Amino acid sequence: MEHKEIKLVIDSELKNVSLVGRTINGLVSMVSPCDISPYDIELCVVEAVNNCVEHAYGKQRGHEVEVRFALGRDRLVVDVCDTGKPMDQRHLAEADVAMLEIDHDDIDGLPEQGRGLPIIKEIMDAVIYQSKGGKNCLSLTKFFGSGEKTRRCTGGQDGD
Amino acid sequence: MEIEQRREGDILVAKILNDRLDARGADDFRKAMSGFVSDGNRRIILDISAVDFVDSSGLGALVSALKLMGGDGDILICGAPDSVMRMFKLTRMNKVFRIFEEQQDAVRALSVE
Repeated sequence: MEHKEIKLVIDSELKNVSLVGRTINGLVSMVSPCDISPYDIELCVVEAVNNCVEHAYGKQRGHEVEVRFALGRDRLVVDVCDTGKPMDQRHLAEADVAMLEIDHDDIDGLPEQGRGLPIIKEIMDAVIYQSKGGKNCLSLTKFFGSGEKTRRCTGGQDGD
Repeated sequence: MEIEQRREGDILVAKILNDRLDARGADDFRKAMSGFVSDGNRRIILDISAVDFVDSSGLGALVSALKLMGGDGDILICGAPDSVMRMFKLTRMNKVFRIFEEQQDAVRALSVE
């Protein structure tokens, strides 16, 4: 099969985020090559969905967060979409792994938030944010490796 | 957030019983840790062996707990599953907290100080 896609929709409550996270973890475990960590993909999706609930919808219930999981021949793509307040594009552009560095001499200055986007950008191969027609989508792409690593974790067959 | 507590001398061993330390439970966790510190606990071991998922909000809550100590005390972490440990390394939390595989190793480390 060339392309597989599953769409999940949750209401904008933090209690629902783990449902999406666990589902994505399970999907990645079942259909992705061994070199992709289900935990890593779950983490990125959870961070993205948290952002929708907390920032796009300001923790208000009653709004939809849509998560589309798609598997292609050489990549896995997860789109996380909301219809709330768009994210300032600069947040994504400025998010960098350097923001995860710490200063041992300044524990009090350690940030308690703001690690979500740097984590996503560090783990995923491509991260694109689009806001169009009232719908905001963060698209997360992870490319597969090659050779032995492309074998699926279950069954040991090359991915199709 | 369910946290099991026990004492080893003046060390508080707090074991998180939930399987996730995430945005949903982060506030509860902060409050619980704040309570421990307010009660005078300055040597805390956090057993996260039952936690199989931590997100950035959970990390923020851990950092918040450490900052509550105000430099007067320590929080050690033990029991992190491999997946959580990789996340700690990615976010440099392994440089912020002393992390042990076994609870008894963490207790021993604090006991000799």
